[in-house]
Amino acid sequence: MKTQKTILTISTLCLALLLTACSGKKNSETENTQNTTAAPDMEQSQDASGVTLDDLYQQENQIFADHADAWNKAFGMVNKSTADPSGNYADFLSDTVESNKDSFTEDEYKTLTDDIETIRKIEEQIAEMENKNMSSGTSEQTNDSGEESPFKNFSGTDFDGNSVDESLFSGNAVTVVNFWFTGCKPCVAELSKLNELNDTIREMGGEVIGINTETFDGNEAAIKDAAAILESQGAAYRNLSIDSDSDAGKYAADIMAFPTTILVDRNGNIVGEPLLGGIDNQDNYDALMKQIQSVIDADSTNK
Amino acid sequence: MDKKTSMLSKKTARLRGWIQAAATLLTNIHIPNLFKGKIYQGKAKTVCVPGLNCYSCPAATGACPIGAFQAVVGSSKFKFSYYITGFFILLGVTFGRFICGFLCPFGWFQDLLHKIPGKKFSTAGLKPLRYLKYVILIVFVILLPMLVTNSVGMGDPFFCKYICPQGVLEGAIPLSLGNAAIRSALGKLFSFKCLILIAVVVLSILFYRPFCKWICPLGAIYSLFNKVSLLSIKVENSKCVGCNKCAKVCKMDVDVRKTPDHSECIRCGACIKACPANAIHYQFMGKKYK
Repeated sequence: MKTQKTILTISTLCLALLLTACSGKKNSETENTQNTTAAPDMEQSQDASGVTLDDLYQQENQIFADHADAWNKAFGMVNKSTADPSGNYADFLSDTVESNKDSFTEDEYKTLTDDIETIRKIEEQIAEMENKNMSSGTSEQTNDSGEESPFKNFSGTDFDGNSVDESLFSGNAVTVVNFWFTGCKPCVAELSKLNELNDTIREMGGEVIGINTETFDGNEAAIKDAAAILESQGAAYRNLSIDSDSDAGKYAADIMAFPTTILVDRNGNIVGEPLLGGIDNQDNYDALMKQIQSVIDADSTNK
Repeated sequence: MDKKTSMLSKKTARLRGWIQAAATLLTNIHIPNLFKGKIYQGKAKTVCVPGLNCYSCPAATGACPIGAFQAVVGSSKFKFSYYITGFFILLGVTFGRFICGFLCPFGWFQDLLHKIPGKKFSTAGLKPLRYLKYVILIVFVILLPMLVTNSVGMGDPFFCKYICPQGVLEGAIPLSLGNAAIRSALGKLFSFKCLILIAVVVLSILFYRPFCKWICPLGAIYSLFNKVSLLSIKVENSKCVGCNKCAKVCKMDVDVRKTPDHSECIRCGACIKACPANAIHYQFMGKKYK
């Protein structure tokens, strides 16, 4: 009887754990969605020193808390109508304190101005971090592998043995990079459509590039298999073998669903979200074509 | 009481929940991956686990044998998957459906769901549905992936793609929660398979292990070996008092005295625990574990 009871308790515990695990996941999902739509993930906005935006905001709040008396007095004098949301926060605080200088004691005034200088520095850090996220925040996976696009320092070999580097991207307004592997049925199913797409966008200043994850590190047998499949599907656009320990190789290793197609601009930056699924589906094709057009438009306005 | 607990078979049967939990944890060891939305892709992934445990579960240690079988059968390079078939025969001959009762994570999942209190229904009247799992094995796991192929001879893993609720539970749901790109790609097929999962969950609360009884192709394979497997259940007629308790407690609708090696017996040991005369026990290669 006793063992039965323990087993029952354990199983209820397990169930409870399961349920909490589920709700935990749900939380992380909502967090994620918020972050992808509003600001990039906290984890991703970490800079090299490991400081996050959240940490910086916390630091500011701590300063206010440390000298709560002086700050509460100062906040009481804030003229709300002068608050400029896009203005510098430190300037705003400083203006408030300066214009009410007479109301503070000397000590209070010193504390406040010192704090404002500290906040100014923190604000600079925040601005810098937000800028970085803006430039690399175009896709989740780019952020994962660091701030730099994995295609900045690119090298690869096409199936005929010719080497290519990042000039591959600079020659075109947009490069469509399709990640696939030979044993992937939906990947093979879209190869002919990708070839059509390549023919279409060549005239518009674009190119389709295939990266087969089985052909990494110049794997001869895999390249032969991949080339045979490409030929059977009438796909003549360039396919590249890259090194698995290169930035682009690591980017490919993080892809969890195939086929995945991304757009890379002239500067080697990934633009927009990766497209999962084949473009033999008309909706996917239209969505990708729209993205391609917008990259080309952006490229011509930048010129 | 002392004598009872010293019986190894009874002990094993009593510890079943723990063993199931440990097996589930061992075959899904990469827990942190659940939150990253990434699948572990190391060397161990080329090995199959015994139970129905989706390869695409971010935490999975190895590959699902049913998924691997379809992947090989459906690939353009191979006609039949001899390696996985050998794996089925090895595990089937050694353990039979003991794997369903003790090692399968999806079996454990259904066991836990069935513990949710409420009205429970017997499946004794639904025995013909048992044969459905053999149809699913032959049609969705073997024939369709082998025969319905594209121009270069590649087939879809039909069971994984259109039926398996474990794939949604362990694969699609955690992956889409942790990976925004995958989340954005979810479509009708995902909704359809979620409905299957919800149906299995509801049925599991009302019935005992409906998926194992009626749907699971892996259970169907192991069931073929139950009559010959090295691990089996033995009823000692000399000790039996004929109280019929064993048949009454069996949730898989098996009468262990008549057919101790019935293909539906998942070796859960409910009868061993229930026997007042200690007449039922596990045996391995003829060696009795009393």
